[in-house]
Amino acid sequence: MSAATGPVTDKIDPFSKKQSVKKPKQKRSQASSRYKAKGGTELVPLPQLKDAPPAEQHELFIKKLQQCSVVFDFMDSVSDLKGKEIKRASLNELVDYITAGRGVLTEQVYPEVVKMIASNIFRTLPPSENTEFDPEEDDPTLEASWPHLQIVYEFFLRFLESPDFQPSIAKKYIDQKFVLQLLELFDSEDPRERDFLKTVLHRIYGKFLGLRAFIRKQINHIFLKFIYETEHFNGVGELLEILGSIINGFALPLKAEHKQFLIKVLIPLHKAKSLSLYHAQLAYCVVQFLEKDATLTEPVVRGLLKFWPKTCSQKEVMFLGEIEEILDVIEPSQFVRIQEPLFKQISKCVSSPHFQVAERALYFWNNEYVMSLIEENSNVIMPIMFPNLYRISKEHWNQTIVALVYNVLKTFMEMNSKLFDELTANYKAERQKERKKEKEREELWKKLDGLEINATVNNKEVKSVPPTSTNTPVAGGSPAVGTRYAPYSPTAHRLMAK
Amino acid sequence: MAASDSDDSLYPIAVLIDELRNEDVQLRLNSIKKLSTIALALGVERTRSELIPFLTDTIYDEDEVLLALAEQLGNFTPLVGGQEHVHCLLPPLESLATVEETVVRDKAVESLRKIAADHSTADLEAHFVPLVKRLASGDWFTSRTSACGLFSVPYPRVSSQVKAELRTHFRNLCGDDTPMVRRAAAGKMGEFAKVLELEYLKSDLIPLWTNLASDEQVQNDSVRLLAVEACVSIASILPREDLESLVMPTLKNAAEDKSWRVRYMVADKFTELQVAVGPEITKSDLAPAFQGLLKDCEAEVRAAAANKVKEFCENLPADVRETTIMTNILPCVKWSFFLQELVTDANQHVKSALASVIMGLSPILGKDNTVEHLLPLFLIMLKDECPEVRLNIISNLDCVNRVIGITQLSQSLLPAIVELAEDTKWRVRLAIIEYMPLLAGQLGQDFFDEKLNNLCMAWLVDHVYAIREAATNNLKKLVEKFGSEWATSKIVPKVVAMAQDPNYLHRMTTLFCVNVLAEVCGVEVTVSVFLPVVLKLASDAVPNVRFNVAKTLQKIGGLFDAETVNSQLKPCLDKLKTDQDFDVKYYASEAILVLTEAA
Repeated sequence: MSAATGPVTDKIDPFSKKQSVKKPKQKRSQASSRYKAKGGTELVPLPQLKDAPPAEQHELFIKKLQQCSVVFDFMDSVSDLKGKEIKRASLNELVDYITAGRGVLTEQVYPEVVKMIASNIFRTLPPSENTEFDPEEDDPTLEASWPHLQIVYEFFLRFLESPDFQPSIAKKYIDQKFVLQLLELFDSEDPRERDFLKTVLHRIYGKFLGLRAFIRKQINHIFLKFIYETEHFNGVGELLEILGSIINGFALPLKAEHKQFLIKVLIPLHKAKSLSLYHAQLAYCVVQFLEKDATLTEPVVRGLLKFWPKTCSQKEVMFLGEIEEILDVIEPSQFVRIQEPLFKQISKCVSSPHFQVAERALYFWNNEYVMSLIEENSNVIMPIMFPNLYRISKEHWNQTIVALVYNVLKTFMEMNSKLFDELTANYKAERQKERKKEKEREELWKKLDGLEINATVNNKEVKSVPPTSTNTPVAGGSPAVGTRYAPYSPTAHRLMAK
Repeated sequence: MAASDSDDSLYPIAVLIDELRNEDVQLRLNSIKKLSTIALALGVERTRSELIPFLTDTIYDEDEVLLALAEQLGNFTPLVGGQEHVHCLLPPLESLATVEETVVRDKAVESLRKIAADHSTADLEAHFVPLVKRLASGDWFTSRTSACGLFSVPYPRVSSQVKAELRTHFRNLCGDDTPMVRRAAAGKMGEFAKVLELEYLKSDLIPLWTNLASDEQVQNDSVRLLAVEACVSIASILPREDLESLVMPTLKNAAEDKSWRVRYMVADKFTELQVAVGPEITKSDLAPAFQGLLKDCEAEVRAAAANKVKEFCENLPADVRETTIMTNILPCVKWSFFLQELVTDANQHVKSALASVIMGLSPILGKDNTVEHLLPLFLIMLKDECPEVRLNIISNLDCVNRVIGITQLSQSLLPAIVELAEDTKWRVRLAIIEYMPLLAGQLGQDFFDEKLNNLCMAWLVDHVYAIREAATNNLKKLVEKFGSEWATSKIVPKVVAMAQDPNYLHRMTTLFCVNVLAEVCGVEVTVSVFLPVVLKLASDAVPNVRFNVAKTLQKIGGLFDAETVNSQLKPCLDKLKTDQDFDVKYYASEAILVLTEAA
């Protein structure tokens, strides 16, 4: 579009009123969803634990736990202030009590503790204030009941980390159903809550061996639902962070279940539109896998190429970053297997009109290890890269890119000057060949379109008359045909095997 | 490559294979989209013996290509030889029904359902049902998810033994270990219920449904949600006496589920449920439940219920309609609307939802009730601080207009319109513009000239393009309503004056106005008033204006006789064709081309 070159008044500033359009910054929004929270239970302050005689402390501890199981409506900020304060104080006391006291976690305490935690943290998450919530742009809706919830989580952690804590007793109460509800909470919009949940789940995974497989499976389900059904789940990053350390601990050789998780869950996670929120954690997980088992490199790279972003440049930059992380740990034998499809993609990125994409791809040439791999395989990579590099060295609008491209071409020249000269000399001829091929293709399709018309006409005839005309391309039973097909069938069932 | 030009009959398949391997996805996509052409050219026999096996075996591609393939195969029955051979399409579609990408799978299932109808009963049992069973017991969840959608189509046509097997498989899917599969099963339960015999519906499906509706995974409300959807179908099939015992307890629970999502779903499906359960249960059970939803603690739920108020009231049995509305529904509506004034966290969605349906109650309640009970509400809503609320009232004016006329409202209407017209959100301005022609018609020409004309002209110089564009279209509709004489005196002078504006965007607006007004104003006005202005703008300093002149001339050229075209339009365009700006040249030559062709 032509730029306006008229007088200054010609320039209208479409944003001039933006200030007035934007509402004054609202206070951070809060939400909480409790359906028909039971009211009417008035809390009566109990004596302080530290003032009670040791013999009565245990009973009082349980009483306080029961007291703290009562939940309050925080959306109504003025209701039952007294009760809220009593509960807050009790919670704080409980935290101190199990942190400082030894031998307080008797067997009878476990069900009460878990019950108290469950009744506080397990709840239906409130609807998002902002239906178009964009975690990158908008402030999250915070949990209104956080003043209590925070201390409950704090208590939960102290409980799990207590030297007296015995998983063999706790597993009766912290069971699959409990974990399932815990995992659902990772969708909380409140980052403070997700942070606590992350630590909590990590501790549970560490202490309850019997729940590990179950936890992994449920995380799988959450991710698959996120990828294929809703594209919405706030805690993907946190779950990936936990998985990063879980993967780190996998024994070798990797189980089929774990490989399947990498290929069928982690790789497809790359295609969600909110990738930027968890990409760092995701890339870490992927690289962890490759460090464990180098033979996974090929399916991983091919997977990434399959989900390569078509329109989102920002995501493309992330993909390139991840590819470089993979290349950093790649074994030369694996590199050879993926170099061709990979560098075809890199060649496209290098010539991207979006300079950040081009720049990110060109930075690969600053990486010494990557350079050494390219050098070893220059006879394959140079012919793939050369045409696009040569073209954009003349055409790209961004001077930084042009400079970087010159550098890359220079390294190629130093690597293999003979091949470089050949490529330069053949460049024009190759382009002409390409154009010719293109033209041939076009003609093929034109002919095919002609056939379509013929076929439609003929088909109408076919319905009434058997195909006798030699013109009709219904030459059934030609013996030559079977052999013509032969080369294509052996690659069968890749779809199923995928 | 197998291409051999000597044998013309092999040509298309060679092209297909070549193109299927092309690096460019778009080209691969093209060849898949031409699949039917190729099959047609190959003939039914070779399509069956070669093309289909080839597709089954070798396709591994981007999801976009697979999607196109899945779609194509659904229409392939005649291309493989009709009913008798249609089962040869099952293998490729079976593969496609197992891929990861939901869109591809759904399309494959859709195509499978389509071709199921083309199967003979024998083939259905011999080929189609085994496929369903294979998918239903697949390893990876994707195949089981796809299977859920394939039960209802073959079921009515197979033997009772096979039916029993299908029911067993469906039951297993409902209890699947993976929530994705349970969700899919719950989602398809409604359609399966419709083809099931009543006795099995009661003995098999309803217990399954009750189970899903109380999905044990307490926090996992996503399955319970879908059970609500299935409820509509199930309720519409069952006789009334069974409804009360088999469905209503579950439905009542759902309306009071602790997850707001489930309650939201009940609210969202409320009128469908109402129709399904019939008038008696509506009176006894649904009306109280609806009141509950209108007063729900979660705004999302209230908004969903609010959206259904009008339809719910319309569907009420005639004998109780008016009393129910007056004594039960209207108080809830008021409560729900004014509640917002009390709490700090005002929810606009609920208010605007109520505003959008409440006008619809007017025809149901009749003139007297409207004047007495609804009118005060309308007036309050017209003054609401939230623009969507006011807008929703204005956009539904015609309902009230039919009952009491809008004179009673016009006093409050005008300030509301003016305020909306100047709202800071352009979407709000856009919405009110769209109602201008309607308002103009109802308020009359005099009222319009006096109060609204200036607004309409002000929008032409709005700083948002979408508003300027809508404003020009609005002018056209107004002229259609009030006639070209009105146009010449009231709006044309202002439009023409804008051609002198120092802001090039306003000068362009003149051109856009001419584009839409030329025809409705007639040739005379166009030649004498518009054309000179347009031609003058051809020498504007800003290229955007100049190429829009070319576009305008192209658009209005058809109105003129050959002489005007040759003596005035052509010379101007010829000059623009030699412009130094690329775009101007482009549009000028395009216009010349069109005008020459027309002549």
